[in-house]
Amino acid sequence: MAIREDVLVVGGGLAGMSAALSAAETGATVRLLSHKKSTLRHASGLVDCLGYSGDDGPFADPYAAMDDLPDDHPYRIVGESAVREGFDRFDSVVGDSYRGGHTDVNALIPTQAGTIKPTARYPASMAAGLASDTRSTLLVGFEGLSDFDAPLAADRLAAAGVPFDVRGVTLRFPKKFRADAKLTRYARALDRDEEPDKDRAPRFDGVRRALAELVRPKLDGAERVGFPSLIGDDRNDEVRDDLEERLGVPAFELAASPPSLPGVRLESRFLAALDEAGVRRTTGNPVVDYESADGAITTVYTDNNGQRVPYGADQVVLATGGLVGKGIGSSRESVREPVFDCHIPHPEDRYDWSATDAFGDQPFARFGVVPDDDLRPLDAAGETEFSNLRAAGSVLGGADFAAQKCGSGVSLATGHVAGERAGALI
Amino acid sequence: MSDADTTPTDASDESFEPVDVFSGEPMDLRPGADDCYKCTTCDTSCPVAEVDDDFPGPKFQGPEQWRLKRKGDDDIDPSINACSNCMRCDNACPSSVPLSQMHNEARGAFVERQMEKLSTEYIRNRILANYHTSAWFASKLPRVANFAMNFGPARWAMEKTLGVTAEREFPAFAGQTFREWWAERGGAHVENPDKRVAYFHGCYSNYNTPEVAKALVHVYEHFGYEILVPPQKCSGTPMFANGMLTDARRHARTNVEELAAAIDDGADVIASCTSCSMALRQEYPELFDITDIETVAQNTYEGLEYLRINEDLRGAVEEGEVDMPDMAYHAPCHARNQGLDRQAVELFRDLDGVDVEDVGPSCSGISGTYGWKEEKYDKSMEIGEEMFEHMEAGAGEEGMTECPTCAMQMEHGTGYEITHPLEVLREALTGTSAS
Amino acid sequence: MDGTVAVIGGGSTGTGIARDLAMRGFDVTLVEKGNLTHGTTGRMHGLLHSGGRYAVSDRSSARECIEENRVLREIATHCVEMTGGLFVQKEGDADEYFEEKLEGCRECDIPAEVVSGEEARAIEPYLAKDVKRAIRVPDGAIDPFRLCVANAASAIEHGARVETHAKVTDVLVEDGAVVGIEVEHESGPGKRVHRKPGTVEEIRADYVVNATGAWAGRVGAMAGVDVEVRPSKGVMVVMNTRQVDTVVNRCRPKGDADIIVPHETAAILGTTDEEVEDPEDYPEEGWEVDLMIDTLSELVPILQEARTIRSFWGVRPLYEPPGTGTTDPTDITRDFFLLDHDERDDLPGMTSIVGGKFTTYRLMAEKISDHVCEQFGVEAECRTADEPLPGSEDIGNLDEYMDEFGLRSPIAKRSTKRLGSFSPQVLGGSDPNPVVCTCEAVTSAEIDKAIDESGTDLNAVRLRTRASMGNCQGAFCCQGMASQLHPTYDEPTVRDAYDELYQERWKGERHGLWGEQLSQAALKYALHATTLNRDRDPAARESDLDFAAFDDGRTATNAGTDVSRSERETAADGGRRPTSPNGDSDGDS
Repeated sequence: MAIREDVLVVGGGLAGMSAALSAAETGATVRLLSHKKSTLRHASGLVDCLGYSGDDGPFADPYAAMDDLPDDHPYRIVGESAVREGFDRFDSVVGDSYRGGHTDVNALIPTQAGTIKPTARYPASMAAGLASDTRSTLLVGFEGLSDFDAPLAADRLAAAGVPFDVRGVTLRFPKKFRADAKLTRYARALDRDEEPDKDRAPRFDGVRRALAELVRPKLDGAERVGFPSLIGDDRNDEVRDDLEERLGVPAFELAASPPSLPGVRLESRFLAALDEAGVRRTTGNPVVDYESADGAITTVYTDNNGQRVPYGADQVVLATGGLVGKGIGSSRESVREPVFDCHIPHPEDRYDWSATDAFGDQPFARFGVVPDDDLRPLDAAGETEFSNLRAAGSVLGGADFAAQKCGSGVSLATGHVAGERAGALI
Repeated sequence: MSDADTTPTDASDESFEPVDVFSGEPMDLRPGADDCYKCTTCDTSCPVAEVDDDFPGPKFQGPEQWRLKRKGDDDIDPSINACSNCMRCDNACPSSVPLSQMHNEARGAFVERQMEKLSTEYIRNRILANYHTSAWFASKLPRVANFAMNFGPARWAMEKTLGVTAEREFPAFAGQTFREWWAERGGAHVENPDKRVAYFHGCYSNYNTPEVAKALVHVYEHFGYEILVPPQKCSGTPMFANGMLTDARRHARTNVEELAAAIDDGADVIASCTSCSMALRQEYPELFDITDIETVAQNTYEGLEYLRINEDLRGAVEEGEVDMPDMAYHAPCHARNQGLDRQAVELFRDLDGVDVEDVGPSCSGISGTYGWKEEKYDKSMEIGEEMFEHMEAGAGEEGMTECPTCAMQMEHGTGYEITHPLEVLREALTGTSAS
Repeated sequence: MDGTVAVIGGGSTGTGIARDLAMRGFDVTLVEKGNLTHGTTGRMHGLLHSGGRYAVSDRSSARECIEENRVLREIATHCVEMTGGLFVQKEGDADEYFEEKLEGCRECDIPAEVVSGEEARAIEPYLAKDVKRAIRVPDGAIDPFRLCVANAASAIEHGARVETHAKVTDVLVEDGAVVGIEVEHESGPGKRVHRKPGTVEEIRADYVVNATGAWAGRVGAMAGVDVEVRPSKGVMVVMNTRQVDTVVNRCRPKGDADIIVPHETAAILGTTDEEVEDPEDYPEEGWEVDLMIDTLSELVPILQEARTIRSFWGVRPLYEPPGTGTTDPTDITRDFFLLDHDERDDLPGMTSIVGGKFTTYRLMAEKISDHVCEQFGVEAECRTADEPLPGSEDIGNLDEYMDEFGLRSPIAKRSTKRLGSFSPQVLGGSDPNPVVCTCEAVTSAEIDKAIDESGTDLNAVRLRTRASMGNCQGAFCCQGMASQLHPTYDEPTVRDAYDELYQERWKGERHGLWGEQLSQAALKYALHATTLNRDRDPAARESDLDFAAFDDGRTATNAGTDVSRSERETAADGGRRPTSPNGDSDGDS
């Protein structure tokens, strides 16, 4: 077969990309197959380790809490050191575009909803906004952006007892867009410092300066300013620096649900690292089938509008994601892993897949394949599904990424382990 | 997809084929909205929405608009015309919503029902969409055409009367078309009933860059393939982008008929233009109901892709050597959609004598005819800005891409000469270049 | 005023009665324990009957239906979509029944036309291939929420008082006659506001109308009379898109799962008919949902693969006179009954109305209003069949306004359909007017109007606007909706309102959790729990959080990282200053 690699990683999210990098580091040739662009594009860009377990938390030190996790939690399977190595890999990929690597301790990040969430790594653009930092804060929202109400967010932060004064103000963005303009349009205008509208900012020729001048009179002593996560895209740092210089106080972005640009930026960091590591990538077609011999996968097939393209490999990593990433599928009767049909345990009655309270203990959040100590998925009888298949990230069961705030960390840790072990066997 | 293992009832065994009903009519794509879970990845991947707030983004123009439609809601929001048909939303959607199909259908319906057929815009779009016709005339007297098309006053008049931007230079027409060359050469030099390909060269390689088509011929003959060059018309890409679905359907009929005949003769179809292969593979079966259209779609490949799958291309390239300047490679959006955005860079990584650097995932901004429209020109250049910057920042002195209009944009924005990967491959494998 | 009347029940009948009596000059107070439509009205498939459905079994109901169908098309244009309906015969379905149905329709003056299978498929392309023929009738779709809101608004215009979230706790009986009711206002009288304390009120009335449908027995018991309603539950399954634009009925004798109603953006599959003990507490089971999908996909095969977004159950307020003894609820008449408790139980001052169906709500209201008039000797004529409801007044061609609203098609289309004659007023003056709920095309101006009418009750806002009723089930718009309550209402109130809406959405969504909708739910959970930490936000904690135990960005060296310019400057100044409430810092330059 013409296209063949030592290690094939199926899935292009955080887990798949980490696995590919760790495998490549062993010297193996690696290809990453992904159906679509990474789901990082609709993630917040925050990289969690562990925030809660059951009713406990938020944990200041996630590592201290790991021992108390249930036995089937992926962290318990790979162990604390693997989690640390996963985060080390992350830190080396993102460099100084991310913060939080200087300490084991979680950070508390304010979000656009005015809530606070614990996380292990955060984009540099959010660094000045930490909730444990006591500087007084002004939040700035824009008319017409219904995702973010700055005064309401400020009140909610205050209700959480944050150790700083916080106010919110809603301004008109200095350039008028249609009410349904995308976030990327705002970011672009700041990236390229486009000309503001004369009726909104008559005196300035760049939208950055115009924005700073609109915010300045509202500062009223605030020692930092928070914006929705649209303060530039490609030139995020430059825009932020520019605003900070003009305002004389640090600026930061608030974490947001999608659309959120920090996730998009994180994706490009990882793609650059993959290129540098020599990982080959094929994105755009789903893996639909495979062949195996003697209990090992030999070939996987992608589908391109009806064509099956074969990819050969010695070792395979399954990192297709969970229910959100479509690495886990379901029907009225059952829950399944659609690529290799690995066993996913689940209650028979679909009403037992979810809890009556929206934020109750949701069984569906823990759905996933059950791995052995070597991260190889097991079938219903407890035997390995394939001798050369390892699973990483959200396709693994046992972790509630949402309630525990551990999704990214599980991806980094298990991706690293799966990739490294696959590579080491070559 | 995730419902695949639901037990089908008797009724669904004789499953419904909506094309039986919608034949000739716009398709009802509302069920496609079932797959959307609103994640917004399409919107953050849209290069047009980033520079043009007249375009409300692919999510609105796709699944949202379709879901809100009812039978009898004939009016399409005019913002559909702001879409450049780069199809990056297709590639972004984790749920496989048929976004570009939705856009194409809506645009077709808009042009059909709401666009004034005597308007300058309609006439201009029709001319741009039917590039193959203009090109056919021009190829009869290429030197005159090359002069006339880029003659200053003529271009000024074209912008004023037709809205075709005067900022761009029309591509030069070759002295001899590829088909003329092929005939003069006496057709295929290799006969091989076991390894046969039918080459869909498209308009551009025929009229403007026959060196790309010739490179393909040499490369494929190097690997022992017998090449068929069936009669063919425009793939339809520029027509889809302008909502000219009637024109596109007419051309598609000829192409499907001819290519299906070649497939019957044991050939697979290959294309050197990634928009052409995209059209044959994806848009044809999505938009038209023509006998054998699925067969053609399932047997069509991009030229480099086919060799990667079927030959030890990596091995062959490792043994080769070229003497070429370093190149900045831009992956066309339509290549991206077929999963081909990395193949050239990864292949030439193993080739001595040239360094090829990927300039990143940005869109070139021209999107076929989009950047030729006077009112879209500035947006097109704004979209392309990032690519230009990355090209200039990189080590490469020349550019490389598979798409002829991306090549125009790359050249227009940076002044670089642009090469097709097949031309590099030809030199690597045969030691000869086009000149 | 001619007299004071208390109407209990804010469904179609209750609001219809309140409107009718108010128009005839009575001093009316309507009380409803939940939102308008809270009981049965809000839990139906939204079919505006042509009467075809009853043309074989119950011709007097059929005749009433077609008459009221014609009336509602005139007075409630903004609530009705005249989709047309088909009674579809598949291969194997009895010819005799088909003929009987056709004849019945003709007898009852229901326009009915036979179309071939091919023609039926041309009308509805997703119909199964083995459809033999169909009867085309003027069925339609009607939005029950909008209709009740319009009736209530009209009643208020005519001087009535409408109190939602006002639960009746007692019927006041003095000297052997009903003299009023006692209600508990969840958050005091007027609009509902979260965190506002409740109050109890005695509402004295000359007459009480019990229009509580399936709950009529409970209200009757408070007055010491027996009202033997036989609640019967039915399931409705909501599909994410409209697989059909016409009401599709299976043309065969009574059976479960035989109707698909295109309703707004969705299609609703129905239903079952099973008697239950308690109208509020009955099992909602997966097999009922499965039955709808499996049976109706015989008619429309793509339903098998299509996405459902939620399911809900409603209870019919069936009634038959004591002693009739029907065992199968499907055989119980759909007719309505007016129980005058003076005649029946020697308890003057109160009448209950039970049975009936949504399509004939106005007629029922007319009948009971006539009855009330009789008690008071009032001669006023009923005008509800002639006067359009608020929102349905003729305002000419709405299409001509659309450009002014600055909304794209089809957003403008959907908004103006919902708002009817309120469109220019609501959509005309708001800039910017972003779309908050993109699934259902609901703009911020429309949400503001609904908040104005219903306080902090975001479920009431939802019912009025359809915001959060689309495929993401509020994942992307709950936040925007709640934000619009601020700053009129403070943060904790907004938070409670948000939580209530979020939980309500989840309740129905659970019945559709597989395939795409389970992925959707996981995404929603990811956004709200992972990213926004709504499940464990410190603001909702009992105890204070030790913020100092967490990373403040400075606890350890940031060696090698590039601190931003102003951070460097602050550091050069000798470090960060402690917070001062008035923010007198060097940053304020």
